[in-house]
Formats: sequence, structure tokens, C-alpha cells
Amino acid sequence: MATILTVDDTASMRQMISFTLHSVGHEVIQASDGQEALKVIEGKKVDLVIADINMPNMDGITLLKSLRALADYKFTPILMLTTESQEAKRQQGKVAGATGWIVKPFNPEQLLTVVKKVLG
Amino acid sequence: MNGPLSFNPSVLSHTASWPRWWLWAVVGMMVSLSWTVPFIPWWAGLGSGLCAVLTLTILAFYARRQHEERPLEGEEVLGGHDAKQVLDQVDALMSPSKDIEQIPQVDEVLQNMAADNQRRRLEDLMRRWVDVAQRYSEAALVLRKDIYSVIKQTEQAANTIASSFEAVINKATIQARQAMELLEGTQGATSDGVPQSLKDFIQVSDERLNKMADEVVRVADLSVNMVRELDGVQSRTQAIDGFLLDVEKLADQTSLLALNADIEAARVGEHGRGFSVVASEVRRLSKRSHEFSDRIRVHLKEVRTGLSKTYGNMRMLSAADMEHALQIKEDVVSLTRSLEDKNREVAETVSCINEISKEIAQDVRNVVVSLQFHDITSQKLSGMLEPMDDLRRSLYHLMQETINLDKSLLKNLPNNERWLSRMRDEPAPGSAAKPMKNAVQEARTIHQATDNGPAVELF
Repeated sequence: MATILTVDDTASMRQMISFTLHSVGHEVIQASDGQEALKVIEGKKVDLVIADINMPNMDGITLLKSLRALADYKFTPILMLTTESQEAKRQQGKVAGATGWIVKPFNPEQLLTVVKKVLG
Repeated sequence: MNGPLSFNPSVLSHTASWPRWWLWAVVGMMVSLSWTVPFIPWWAGLGSGLCAVLTLTILAFYARRQHEERPLEGEEVLGGHDAKQVLDQVDALMSPSKDIEQIPQVDEVLQNMAADNQRRRLEDLMRRWVDVAQRYSEAALVLRKDIYSVIKQTEQAANTIASSFEAVINKATIQARQAMELLEGTQGATSDGVPQSLKDFIQVSDERLNKMADEVVRVADLSVNMVRELDGVQSRTQAIDGFLLDVEKLADQTSLLALNADIEAARVGEHGRGFSVVASEVRRLSKRSHEFSDRIRVHLKEVRTGLSKTYGNMRMLSAADMEHALQIKEDVVSLTRSLEDKNREVAETVSCINEISKEIAQDVRNVVVSLQFHDITSQKLSGMLEPMDDLRRSLYHLMQETINLDKSLLKNLPNNERWLSRMRDEPAPGSAAKPMKNAVQEARTIHQATDNGPAVELF
């Protein structure tokens, strides 16, 4: 099973993502914004990152760019889980190197399917 | 609030003059006609007076209608709420085309009144404006506090609900797993001949009880065979009885033969003495043969009695064994069926528990989807805060400019400058749940979130 980092400023969202991923045996690490996420992954490698876009301190797109700048996370799948659904935002995420885009509210089964797919 | 700025129609009205004129005309007419009273009959005077009154009434009626159809200049009611409208109306009144302009006194009065009305109107508008701004700013602050409180409370509630449902699903999963283990335990395989499950226990018990019942049946069969054998032995003892009768007959004949020999020996005298001894010996043997035969018969009778008792017991035993064996077999079958039914019920119950656990898991998944609307609504509410704050800040600047124009406006306001400073106050840092660069755009984005593009897209 994989180690997954979930980044969202809403505690209940982090809780629901963790709960969904735990149910199939994944280990989940949580962070409340981009800055905390970068601190959390220091010295460790996660298999997948699921991040929100709108967050205080450091938003999801900035986090995405920061992660892609790290050698360890150049090819790590990063899914954006957000309320944003506009095509411009999607393109912004795609250009920044996002692996996929999931619009909230997520369906647990759907999330698990996508996670399974991107983890290979 | 148009009262202080609206024109008083009575000031410019000419309508008050015509009824007075009409009354004076009637009185004059009556006085003038009173001179004719001594010279004409009273009825002619009265008729002329009535005719005059009637004529004047008709004239007055037409004069009034004409006045109502075409209002006099300056008689318009300046009831608009807009300062521009008031000014337009005043301009219209001041227009050179108006007939009233030709009267210098009226023009001056009208100009003063219009200026006075405009000033009062503007003052009233400014007071209203300040009042609205004050009320909005107070409401905006309360609303901001309430929205922030709602966001926090719903977040806490959502966290609690999410934790509770996580606990529910975890417990349901454990329950289902334990039930499955129980089911697997009751359905599992045997090891070293020892039953490990209820199913195996039933199977082994069934096999062993069946074996035992078969053994009992076999023993019962043996008992039946033994009874048959005993029947044979009994019949053979009866044959021995017959043989004993033959032996007794032989002994009787031997005794009779010995008696004849003894008689013959007596007839020959001394020469037959030896023969007489032999005859006596033969008779004694015959007697002993009788005695043996009697003793055999006694023993045989005892044997037969014993056999008869054994035969009866064996018959009872074999019948009882068979009945018991059949009863045991029936009980074993019934017990096995009962255990199998119970086992099936356990399996069905466990299966049902498993299904319920799956349903709970599905329900919880639906709850997970629904609970995410807390995040969405929080963002929407947060999106409302920034435009509200912008509006409040804009109002503050406008208010300052307005009050700088006329400081007296503050005097009439409750808590005068205190609320103005509150309007200026910036919200506490971090009071908004989410930073919004463009709150209006964010709100629109959130609103469209479910309608715009696929829910999941892999690049």
C-alpha cells in the first residue's frame, strides 16, 4: 500500500480523504497548507500528493510548482482536489505539472479509482 | 421624507380668490336688488334674485372647471425624491417662458423658496445617507462576525460528524470481519480428525453417531441370530429327550432280559449259578442306566429351562436393541438436521451482517460526499466577506468626505464618531477562512463548480 500526502486547509476534508484512503490500507500524511506540506515531506518520499488549490500561506498551484522543482517529486503523481472547475484553472494546474484534477465534492469510490490508476 | 422640501400649494394657489369674489358678487347683487323691493311685486324681485344667483353659480362652476383643467403656474407639487428632479422642477418654475416671471415679487419669492427647498432636501438626503451608511456598517460588522462564527461552527460540526462516521464505519468493518471469522470458524476445515468448525462437528458427529447406530443394529441382528440358534438348541434338547426314552426302553428290555436269564439260571440249578450272577449284574446295569437317564433328564430339563429364559431375554434384548438403534438413528438425523439449520441460520445472519456493513459503508460514502459541502459553503461565505469589507471601506471614505463637507451632520448621529472609526477598522487577520484574491470571481467559480467541466480529469 502507498503513502499519500493530503493537503487541505479544511480539517474535515483532510479527515474524509484520510478516512477514504485508510479504508483500502493506504498510509496518509496530512498538511493544512502548501508550506506545511513542504515541511512534512522533508526527508521522506510519498507516493502520491492530493492537494487543494485555495489555501492560506501557500496555495495548491504554488505547492505543485515547488514540488515539481524537487528532484524526488518530479514524477510523483499529484492530484488537485478543489472546488475550482474553470478550464483556465485546470490548464494552469496542467501546465504546472498536475497529474489530475478532481472537483469537490469527491466521491470516495471515484477517488479510490483515480488513486489506484495513478499509482499504477 | 419629501415633506420639508415639497412646495406648499396654498402659497401660490389662486383658487382661494374666486369663492370670495363670488360671495361678494352675490351680496352686492342682493343689496342692489333690495332698492327695487318697494317698486316691483315681491315675487318679481325674488325671481330676479334667484335668476341672478343661478347665473353666477353657473359662471363660477365653469370658471372652476377651467381652473382645474389648466393649473396655474408654480402650482406643481415638487414631490420627487431626487435632488436633480427638484432642481429640474425649480428650473422649470424659473423658466422665462412662464407667465409668472412677469411678476418680479413672485419670481424672487420662488427663487428663495426653491433654494431653501433644495438646501433642506440636500440636508435630508445627507442625513439619510449617513443614517444608511451607519446602519449598513453596523450590520456589516455583525454579519461578518456571524459569518465567521458560522464557518467555524460548521467546521467543528463537520469534523465531529466526520469523526463519528469514521468510527461508525470502523466499528461496522470490525463487526463484519468478526462475523466473517465466526462464519469461517463454523465452516472451516478439520485438522487431525478434530473438528474445527460447527459444520465439521456436525459432519463428524453425524458420521460417528451413524456408525454407532449401525453397530447397535448389527448387535441387534446378532441377538436375533442368537435367538435363532437358541431355538435350534432347544429343539435339539427335545431330541435328546427322545434319545433318553430310547435309552430307558433299552434299559427296561435289558432288565427284562436279565430277569429271564435269572429264571433260566434257577431252572438249571447249580450249573446256572454263574449265569444268575451275570443276570443280576446286567439287571444292576440296567437299573443304573435308568438312574443315569433320570439324572440326564433332570439336567436336560434345567438346561431347557435356562435356554427358555435366555431365549426370552435374547428376544427382548434384540427387539429393544433394534428399537433403540432405530430411535438413536432417528434422533441423530434430527439433531444433525437441526444443527445444519442452525449453521445455515448463522451463515445467513453473518451474510446479512456483511451486507449491512456494506450498506453502512455506502451510506458513509454518501455522507463523505455531503460533508464536503461544508468546505464549499465555507468558501462561498468567505467569498462574501471581502466584497462586503470593500463596500464598508468605500462607504467609510465616502462618509468621511460627506462629513468633511458639513460637520454638523455628525451632531445628529447617535454615537457620532465612534461608529465611523468602527467602519474604518480592518477585520482581524485570519478571520476569513480562505484567502480570496478576487472574491466575486471566487464566488462565481464556486457556484459553477458542479456545472463546469468533468468532475475528474487526468492529464
